[in-house]
Amino acid sequence: MHTEGLNIRFTGKGGEYFRIWIVNLLLTVLTLGIYSAWAKVRRMQYFHRNTWLNESNFDYHGTPIAILKGRLIAIGMFAAYNVMINFKPLIGLAILLVIAIVMPFLLVKSFRFRLYNTSYRGLRFGFTGSFKGAYLNFLLLPVASLFTLYLLAPFTHRQIKAYQHNNSRFGQTAFSFDAGAGQFYLIYFLTFLWFLLAGALLGVGAYFIFNHAIVEAAQENNRQMFMYIGIGVYLLFIIAMLLLVPYFTSRIQNLVWNNTRLGMHEFESNLGAMKLFWISISNFLLIIFTLGLFKPFADVRMARYRLQSIRMMPAGDMDTFLAASKQDDGAMGSETAEMFDIDIAL
Amino acid sequence: MTSVSAQYYDGNNTRRHAVTLTFAQGWLQVRGEEISRDESLNTASISEKLGSAPRLIHFNDGAHCEISDHASLETLLTEAGHQPLSLVSRMESHWRVALASLLLLLAGAVAAYLWGLPRVAELAAQRIPYSTAHQIDEQALQTFDHGLMQPSKLPITRQQQLQQEFEKLRRGYSLPEYPLQFRASPEIGANAFALPGGTIVITDEIILLAKSDEEILAVLAHELGHVSERHALRNLLQGSIVALALTWYVGDISNLLATAPTLLLQARYTRNFERSADAFAAHMLQAKGMDAAKLATLLDRLETSHRGKNRKGSKLDEWLELLSSHPATEERVKNIRQIKPE
Repeated sequence: MHTEGLNIRFTGKGGEYFRIWIVNLLLTVLTLGIYSAWAKVRRMQYFHRNTWLNESNFDYHGTPIAILKGRLIAIGMFAAYNVMINFKPLIGLAILLVIAIVMPFLLVKSFRFRLYNTSYRGLRFGFTGSFKGAYLNFLLLPVASLFTLYLLAPFTHRQIKAYQHNNSRFGQTAFSFDAGAGQFYLIYFLTFLWFLLAGALLGVGAYFIFNHAIVEAAQENNRQMFMYIGIGVYLLFIIAMLLLVPYFTSRIQNLVWNNTRLGMHEFESNLGAMKLFWISISNFLLIIFTLGLFKPFADVRMARYRLQSIRMMPAGDMDTFLAASKQDDGAMGSETAEMFDIDIAL
Repeated sequence: MTSVSAQYYDGNNTRRHAVTLTFAQGWLQVRGEEISRDESLNTASISEKLGSAPRLIHFNDGAHCEISDHASLETLLTEAGHQPLSLVSRMESHWRVALASLLLLLAGAVAAYLWGLPRVAELAAQRIPYSTAHQIDEQALQTFDHGLMQPSKLPITRQQQLQQEFEKLRRGYSLPEYPLQFRASPEIGANAFALPGGTIVITDEIILLAKSDEEILAVLAHELGHVSERHALRNLLQGSIVALALTWYVGDISNLLATAPTLLLQARYTRNFERSADAFAAHMLQAKGMDAAKLATLLDRLETSHRGKNRKGSKLDEWLELLSSHPATEERVKNIRQIKPE
């Protein structure tokens, strides 16, 4: 038996993905963006097919047309809002409200699309979350969290993850999620402490560096001096974010996957904050110095580390997962026709 | 006859079957310990090659094969009379094509930035009537009046007199006839600016800084240059496209990271607009029998009032000039003084 667990392996290579990326970028530009949907399918397939578990790889089945539809909807909403907010702000705000109201609906559609179009060993994943749950978790709770000065944010985060994972399935087998809100609060609290510490250190540093400059700038109303200070503060902020984001991301990923099960099978995630920090910061600098050309290498590097830090702890035979019943599958299948994907990262 | 080893899954469960694929008598033959099926390659869907990731052959009933041995599969497909690789797959597999794509993209980006985008924005701006864009002005003024700017403290008679001289200045030009907007603003300081719809705002501070009405009119002529050439609107259009493109390109790393290069790229556009408005002003002033050098005089004075006295130009300042929305005053003054009467 696999008592030691099954590691996820990622076999994507930076140079190989760079070629796919640049050729598809060129085709996207030449077709005024339309090819981007085809490019996305190729990108998703490249990453899925290079992800291995127990000597089999994942696959992605999304169709470019469905992705194109989703992109048109997203661009339409974004453009309507941006044009209106400049000309008629009230209509702009009304559009924003409409977007907020339809967003949970679009999210459910997009989760269904993404999971239904992901497969492993020929079996599709699926998402069965209800619209009611989506409105509760993606609209009501975030708004409530806003009104409680984000005190509800960790709870909201937990509810969202629970909604997503409890409603996902692989073939007939359901995923389940059992992390408590307390564990989310702990991560948020520790991140906040780090934030205070980093803020204090950067603040003291900034005080010594800029103190003289700020006084001088204020006295002389010197615009260029303000610009130096602006650039300085901007750099400090980026450094603070680079430090905190990997810490938060790694803790959340570990918490979420250590508390997720597929049937009786468990998962284990041990993403390291320091390692993730190192990858993020070196990726970030290399992307800047190569004017973005390192991006595909960075994506492969990050995906490899994040995926390979997860492993599955099988509780039994891995060959016996069953596909969803034909009836279920038909319902899902017919819905794919009206499905579309919205690129919203959560 | 080539045989290709593959993994077979029936689509009903996760059990893996080792199989070999061969092409014989017009059929793709799938053979394994418990598997034996003949499929037509025309109805099966064969995935494109993506780097060295496995390729898949899907059959109509939901079963599929995964193949990692690319060379053998390509031979088999060729034997079966199929094109083994799609055009895009072939492009993706060559470094030469990747390099050529990169160079094309770079050339395209530079050309779009230098010529394409400014031209498109210009054509688009010409098609948007002043009256439509004027709605943006009203919106902007409302926002400014909520904090950044206060009502002008100049006497009404002074405002009316400047208003009349302003109307005289623009007479004979096909420019929108919106009244001059007087405002006081310690925050903004001595300044005048044109909004996308053709409204010109002038601060009390610059009026007080000017030593003569001719200097004020020189500034207004410069702003009329912006209005006549639709600079604010063009800037709004091409600036948002630059911002959109950059956010799309680097946005998923950091939205914040996108702002610095965006400002840098937008700054070059506005510097060109300033030069163009200076030239317009110089010609307008000469046509009205006024002294174009007055604009230069006021610019000089503005520079001194903004900078303070004891500041020396350094190397860093030259670099920061790249970030600046206006060209160096020295250069502008020199250019204005060089414009000859016609």
